[in-house]
Amino acid sequence: MMAEIRMREALRDAMAEEMRRDGNVFVMGEDVAVFQGAFKVTEGLMEEFGEKRVRDTPISENTIVGIGVGAAMAGLRPIVELMTVNFSLLALDQIVNHAAAIPYMFNGNARVPMVIRMPGGGGHQLGPTHSHSFEALYLQVPGLLVACPSTPADAKGLLKAAIRDENPVIFIEHESLYGIKGEVSDDEDEIVRFGEAAVRREGEDVTIVGILKMAHVAEQAAAELEEKHGISAEVIDPRTLRPLDLDTILASVRKTNRAVIVEEGWPHGGVGANLSTLITEQAFDWLDAPVQRVTGADVPMPYSRRMEQAAIPHEENVIEAVLAATEGAIGPGKGGS
Amino acid sequence: MSEIVMPRLTDSMEEGVILSWLKADGDEIAVGDELVEIETDKASMVYESDLAGTLEILVPEGETRPIGEPIARIGEASPADAGEAVADGDPVGRTSPGVPSGTPTAPAQAPVQDHDHAEHIKVSPLARRIAKEKGVDLSGLTGSGPGGRIIKVDVEAASGSDPATAAEPASPAQSAAASPPADSAKGPPETVELNRTQSLIARRMSESKATIPHFYLRTVVDMDRAVEVRAAFKEEATEGETVPSLNDFVVKAAAIALRRHPIANAAFRDGHFELYPKVNVGIAVATEGSLIVPVIKDADHLSLAEISEETRRLAGRVRSAEITPPELAGGTFTVSNLGMFGVTGFDAVINPGQAGILSVGEVAEKPVVTDGKIGSAHLMEITLACDHRILYGADGAEFLASVKANLEEPGLLA
Repeated sequence: MMAEIRMREALRDAMAEEMRRDGNVFVMGEDVAVFQGAFKVTEGLMEEFGEKRVRDTPISENTIVGIGVGAAMAGLRPIVELMTVNFSLLALDQIVNHAAAIPYMFNGNARVPMVIRMPGGGGHQLGPTHSHSFEALYLQVPGLLVACPSTPADAKGLLKAAIRDENPVIFIEHESLYGIKGEVSDDEDEIVRFGEAAVRREGEDVTIVGILKMAHVAEQAAAELEEKHGISAEVIDPRTLRPLDLDTILASVRKTNRAVIVEEGWPHGGVGANLSTLITEQAFDWLDAPVQRVTGADVPMPYSRRMEQAAIPHEENVIEAVLAATEGAIGPGKGGS
Repeated sequence: MSEIVMPRLTDSMEEGVILSWLKADGDEIAVGDELVEIETDKASMVYESDLAGTLEILVPEGETRPIGEPIARIGEASPADAGEAVADGDPVGRTSPGVPSGTPTAPAQAPVQDHDHAEHIKVSPLARRIAKEKGVDLSGLTGSGPGGRIIKVDVEAASGSDPATAAEPASPAQSAAASPPADSAKGPPETVELNRTQSLIARRMSESKATIPHFYLRTVVDMDRAVEVRAAFKEEATEGETVPSLNDFVVKAAAIALRRHPIANAAFRDGHFELYPKVNVGIAVATEGSLIVPVIKDADHLSLAEISEETRRLAGRVRSAEITPPELAGGTFTVSNLGMFGVTGFDAVINPGQAGILSVGEVAEKPVVTDGKIGSAHLMEITLACDHRILYGADGAEFLASVKANLEEPGLLA
């Protein structure tokens, strides 16, 4: 059965289903139990599963993640919620030096099957201490899996897969997407496997890769490109950055010969910088134009509404990048493709 | 700052050589000043400036450039340049290169065009690959991409065959150009579009005849001994064994002679002689509607039997259309044989990038006078076409004599 639900409900359902399926799964974090989550993602969980499996914690990110690492090593399957991506930096030691490294340090004899959920992204005037995008930062760490869903169905399917995975998973949610609605399966066995990109729209002239909220911006830009510029854009949502479904992206680039990567994070060392390198390394002879990146501005996220909006990519930025990538190749007299 | 490009001074000109600059770098130029002497396919001509300003020479004397390539710039004194560069773009990006601007946008926009590398052709990786596959010369193309970058559409337009759009009807402009005048006295012609190979042949042969000063040296070879040796080979050959053809004898004889006469195993290129260490002999192979020249690599090191086998292999691959670009590349000399069609002799067109080509006629028994007596012998006419810019009369004659001697005494071919 499919039902139209919001992303926050899809995430909640994923956790509830997995907690019913496996008694070792539990949730902890700041305000996740009594208050039911800062973004109401854990609504109803304490009522169903009790305070033992849905635990409020003090404001102590490194400790929360550290408890999660220990619990995971001891056989439980913790889901740790950090209130924002920004706050996860307080727990970097546990995430990078422990969760990611322990399976390697002990030759796989100790596993850390845990999920660390964290919402990020800008657009709500929460300023630089609450609004950043750190996908690239976690993408860099070997040992971590990184998920970044953009639809309710993917959010549910990926979170269920993350809970069942034997590796520590950084599960990044976008605050602006919690309220979006989408068709979601209530089949408890259905998951979305990591490392499988979704082609959101098929096209011939340019490949646009977008993650999280930028997957939607990319789709809107593609619609306008088709309508106003006669450019047929293929839109790909990788859904997970590690593992990354590079094959799907490369196949698309070999078809369109052009790529534009859209992310909300910073430009230097970003998701787009990394993907651009991979495309250039592996599809160099298929490129008819340099890979274009559309990124957040190279500044800490401003608080002022207008400045914040100016620092976040929008459709027009994507269209501008696509026009730069397709200049001379598509348009009157070019015969297009 | 304006560019002066290699002008089209004759109809058939594709490239020009900068013979001499008549003004120096940094000179103030007025409109109408004699600027540069350019050698075209037909003659040397003086080109007058149609611009005024300070001259900046981009291409040194002696070098060759295709039509449309920049050869110099005429501009104001240098301080103006910086202002121009900043004025036409995003000031944040320009003043702090390497640091992305403060607005969310694509940071990969190309900076100001790099004028320090005038010889560098801007071409996308994809276009470069397609050009290589289709044998399109990038230096003659005009790029449609940003900053004049040559992109896929340009190469496909130049190659005239776009597999992706082959099924689509030609654009109106193309149809108009291709359709003949309606009132032709020859009657309505059947128009045949050239395939890629035919286009390449047309272009390279025109280029050869227009730019290479050909002259021809002819001699007659007594092939009696070669015919005898070949007959002996045939007698000795087991069932299914390859017997070298007389053309294989010619290829081997030429290869040995090329090794002995390096100036014939060479090319005139950009005002230089290029002498090649390897002797790679191309053999012209006719196919339906086309002509392909596969290359026997290191022919001077191969035995007659090896040359024979390699020739059959390559010809087979040409006829089955399986031949690949590497098998057609690297030739330093060419042998073209029309003897099997009963042609007694002919003058072949030099393959550009080589100093000569050997045309081979039929082997026929003919009367010969020796010491006042009429006898008969198997004779074969061979003609050497020479590029006079590198292979002069006496050198060509020595080379040709060497080929002849090798064929008349086949023991030399061992």
